[in-house]
Amino acid sequence: MKKLLQQALPPVKGDAEPDRDLWPAMLERLNAQPDAVALAGCAWFDWALVAGLAALVAFFPASIPVLLYYL
Amino acid sequence: MNTHPYLRAFLAGIFVPALVLPLILTVFIVLRLVLHVPFPIERGIIFPMALVPSLFGLWNMLWLASHGRTHLPIGVHGAVLPIFGAPIGATVASCLGILAVGAHGVTWFQACEVPYALIGVFFLAALAGYYLVWKYIVGFLNRVLGIA
Repeated sequence: MKKLLQQALPPVKGDAEPDRDLWPAMLERLNAQPDAVALAGCAWFDWALVAGLAALVAFFPASIPVLLYYL
Repeated sequence: MNTHPYLRAFLAGIFVPALVLPLILTVFIVLRLVLHVPFPIERGIIFPMALVPSLFGLWNMLWLASHGRTHLPIGVHGAVLPIFGAPIGATVASCLGILAVGAHGVTWFQACEVPYALIGVFFLAALAGYYLVWKYIVGFLNRVLGIA
């Protein structure tokens, strides 16, 4: 059994350790906040759409049930 | 988390309609059962309750299936949905009697008159709303669920 296991799992040749410390890169990736960055980077176009929708709802309240109907 | 991606896409898609539906039901209860509005507004719940969530879920599944080839942003993909959903919703509403076509415009729920000149504006508003909802809410959920 020992021999079979040794054949199935050959020893790792060479140095198995990476040549640099990977933990700082991992920490940087964990600390990154992609959603916050995405929200902060909202295009002016999206804000214009929000303003247009708000204006439509304000000037034409009849649009509210119609828009709700389609959501 | 690489299992059942289409199931997760469907669930992410129906999230927004599932949030809006209780709001619609609340409006229905207040208008129909509390204020005793004579119009049968419950007919207007059929489309948002039965079809819209499924449309959203299936549309998100379609985005997942086609994104590898089309590379279409999810906001743009969502903004295309009203092109198919609006005629379906109008047909259902017309058949159920909650949308009446008149000489100068259409009347929703026997109360909301929309002139023909404004229908295009409403449609553009629907495109904009869908674009924002899909870009920021469905897209966020897709990232959370690991399918984007």
